[in-house]
Amino acid sequence: MLKKKSGSKIVAFLFLLLMAIIWIFPLLYTVFSSFKPEEDIQTKGFTFLPIHWVMVNYQEVLFHNTSAPLAKWFMNSVIIAVSQTLLVLVIVSLAAFGYTRLKFKGKNALFLFLMATMMFPSVVNLIPLYKIIDSLGWVNSYLAAIVPGAVGVFNIFLVRQFMTGIPKEFDESAKVDGASDFQIFIKIILPLIKPVLTVVALFTFTGAWNDFLWPSIVFNDVDKMPITPGLQLLQGMYAMDVGHALAAALIALLPTFLLYLFTQKYFVESLSLSSGVKG
Amino acid sequence: MKKRLSAILSLLLVFGLIFALSGCSSSSSSSTSNSKEIVFWNPFTGPDGKNMQNMIDAYNKTKPEYKVKNISLKEADMYAKIPTVVNSGKNIPDLTIVHAERIKQFVAQGMLTPYDGYLSDFPEIKAENYIKAGWDIGDLDGKRYSVPLDVHSYVMYYNKKLVEKYAPHALDDNIVTFDEIRAAGEQSMKDGIRPITLSWMKPIFLSIYNQMGGDITSDGEKPTLYTDTAVKAMEFIKSFVDDKLTNKDGEDATQLFKSGKVIFEPEGIWMQNTMNEVKNLDWGLTNFPQISTDKVVNWSSSHQFVLFNSKARDKKKTEGVVKFIDWVRQNSIYWAEAGQNPAALATLENDKYQSLPQSFLIKDPNEQKTLKIFDYKYNGYVADEIDKIGFDSIFGKIKIEDALKKSQKTIEDKIAQDSHK
Amino acid sequence: MMNTQLNEVTVSPTLVKKPVKKRHWNLSPYLYIGPHLILFLIFFLAPTIYGIYISFTNWDLVNKADFVGLANYKEILFNHESTFYDQLHTGLFNTFKFVLFTVPACVVVPLLLAAGLHAKPVGKNIFQALFYAPTLISVSAVMIIWSMLFNVTYGPITSYFHTETNWVGVQPYAWITLVIVTVWWCIGGNMVIYQAALNGISKDLYEAASIDGAGSIQKFFKITLPSMKNQLLYRIVITTVAQFNVYGQPLMLTKGGPTSTTTVLLMYIRGNAFGTGQSIAGIASAMAVILGLCIMVVAAIQFFFLRERN
Repeated sequence: MLKKKSGSKIVAFLFLLLMAIIWIFPLLYTVFSSFKPEEDIQTKGFTFLPIHWVMVNYQEVLFHNTSAPLAKWFMNSVIIAVSQTLLVLVIVSLAAFGYTRLKFKGKNALFLFLMATMMFPSVVNLIPLYKIIDSLGWVNSYLAAIVPGAVGVFNIFLVRQFMTGIPKEFDESAKVDGASDFQIFIKIILPLIKPVLTVVALFTFTGAWNDFLWPSIVFNDVDKMPITPGLQLLQGMYAMDVGHALAAALIALLPTFLLYLFTQKYFVESLSLSSGVKG
Repeated sequence: MKKRLSAILSLLLVFGLIFALSGCSSSSSSSTSNSKEIVFWNPFTGPDGKNMQNMIDAYNKTKPEYKVKNISLKEADMYAKIPTVVNSGKNIPDLTIVHAERIKQFVAQGMLTPYDGYLSDFPEIKAENYIKAGWDIGDLDGKRYSVPLDVHSYVMYYNKKLVEKYAPHALDDNIVTFDEIRAAGEQSMKDGIRPITLSWMKPIFLSIYNQMGGDITSDGEKPTLYTDTAVKAMEFIKSFVDDKLTNKDGEDATQLFKSGKVIFEPEGIWMQNTMNEVKNLDWGLTNFPQISTDKVVNWSSSHQFVLFNSKARDKKKTEGVVKFIDWVRQNSIYWAEAGQNPAALATLENDKYQSLPQSFLIKDPNEQKTLKIFDYKYNGYVADEIDKIGFDSIFGKIKIEDALKKSQKTIEDKIAQDSHK
Repeated sequence: MMNTQLNEVTVSPTLVKKPVKKRHWNLSPYLYIGPHLILFLIFFLAPTIYGIYISFTNWDLVNKADFVGLANYKEILFNHESTFYDQLHTGLFNTFKFVLFTVPACVVVPLLLAAGLHAKPVGKNIFQALFYAPTLISVSAVMIIWSMLFNVTYGPITSYFHTETNWVGVQPYAWITLVIVTVWWCIGGNMVIYQAALNGISKDLYEAASIDGAGSIQKFFKITLPSMKNQLLYRIVITTVAQFNVYGQPLMLTKGGPTSTTTVLLMYIRGNAFGTGQSIAGIASAMAVILGLCIMVVAAIQFFFLRERN
């Protein structure tokens, strides 16, 4: 038994190693290139490691651009991403519970309708959505960036999938004890779907953090922009400054990467929803 | 029940927090309502943006009644936002920089407020004080719809050392002809040095097309892209590819020039900051290459100040805007430092400007005549098409006639959709 | 459904209060799905309906929209001479191609990676973070990175393989580059979901199978895959929808070329709505509606064939 286990571990390791080498190459190249002076990147031909190691790209992105309020952008992103994540977690878990555990007329038809309409490319509603935001007076405010992003149905679908895996017996026994739907929701269901909620939180936060099309449309003030569209402003109109762009991308990447590292263990670790395990 | 209450309370807290956040920003959500501030939209991101910011800072230091707030957006975003914002009637910028070629379109759509009526207090904002090519743009339907900030041209950079070696006399008259480039190429290619590289097809094609006598429209309404002359122009460019005298498919023209492997590179005057990144590159600036010295054409565009219709901008504020524009007219050296050619002729009095490479286009009145702005009403559609088929045509991926024919049709079809004709 | 509730009321003797609460039963589901529905209505459904309305108009985004009925649809669906007909067909064709090329890889590769990680080899956490990291990079940065890698003058691929091909400008390489970049960038999301799903499968099942003498491969196909069916289906549909919406990669990497062979429909739509010239929003919207319908049909087909028959 042990031999078999370690055999498959070795095979897995070799396979992953091979894939990892392919995967990491562009990442390493990016990191190294962010430490190359622009002149070297563009004129010295291909080099993997920098010929000259410089910090100038990072310095210029972080400090030298007076019209680029990096700290403000960062705070904006944090506020927007955290708020949207909280909003989504609340709304999605409530809705998923409603669609899974509660009975009402047309439940499945309604859900199907929601899924179907989500298939429409969002470019269709870009301008109308702006008009609605405008009439609410939300242009240039955080709400415009936070709220529309919370309408996604696919997260509900995902949470619903996990919820349906929770045996109904748990609910039944709680009902016998006199629990209301809400109490079942809070005390039984929520704790069990923590892993999938962590996934939802991670994806939502990352999506909100990396979004740049919608924020560029709703924010007119440079100060209000989140960091991802903000960093785009550092790119000149015509020239492509590769070193700066890469340094900026790596800086913007850090928070979401840290979030991932922090939440990894919550959703990857063993969770047993199947019968036989205490809820 | 207590737990239920607390759960509901925490829910309310979350929503409350979110709505409270709106309170943080709603106070300044309508930045245009700050009546003593001119909201100024422009597409000058990146390094160019610093020069513009310097200029605005200098203006604000003069303690004007209306200060200018600089908002630089990415060009594509800015043009996408303008229709939505103007349509909504709110958050419209007080002053905007747009490219000259778009102004006819904006006027046709009824989006611009003319300057007439405000210029009487600023008599120096007049034709005599600006480059003709830039000033003429704003004259539509007998009204003045825009004032130029600059005229920026697509000319040619040259590597001084390589010119000395392979084309020592080409610059004697400051006009390099294509024949001279070819001659230089015969020698330089033996050493692996290319005589010329092609970076952006649109201005290259348009300049050559115009040199050959063609234009993108004959009457200002219909496009004329599918013509014998246009085919000739494309084939002319393609000949350099076929004769292996220029960059190959996928090679970056500017990178090659910066690596010292190219004698002549046509590019815009705005690329100077990029060229300066390379420490050992001794470069100079001259006219775009010409077929003959009889007709010299330098493709040019221009950044223009326009006023989008906005109820929030009252009479006094508009005067404040024009005051700023007049100040810019006298202080454009800031903008020249970005590698631009300010449209205000007053800049010529500045010694520093006289020493900047791009000023050769303005110092000489004959040079000024070579600046051609293609401000056809449907220029946008033409530009999109040339950008799309340009490289494919010269690298032999499509037949030139087919490409131009299709482009002509595409532009015509798009124009047909314009219901305001 | 009403009957079930009545049964529950009569069966449980402790719930004497139920008859009063029965009115709450009807209301409370809506309290749960309500918040989402309200937001959905205001910020998605209303704009989408408006957007669909635009497809029946001729609008330049600035002035009044002129109602033109089905004219836009007739133009793009039936007018063989029209540029827009051309755009729709080329765009759809290329989009379908893109979906066909990328979805299988985007579904299978992360599955293999998740399975590998599930065996808990040495360095599992490092591998995991590595495969996931690309999804965190914004699309424009990804395109810059890969443009550099494929760069003819100084890209490593050209250097190491000593070729002169312009990878992003020549077919079939252009498609290959797009697929490679897309897979590199996107598989992180699917991998995470698969990992969570794999961890949800009870170890008892595997042990029972081992006792019966099943090998790893058999276990994979007979236990792992069926247990993950729901998540797999979900990810297949999501991935398909996402790839139908592809825009950034072909725009920035291959620029829709060579000769429009990688121009996907969304590029034409955006070009018409937000191009350099005047906006042609009506046609753009009509194309978007067609695209939406295509996605719906494809997703429906996937659901039909792959769902669990209960």
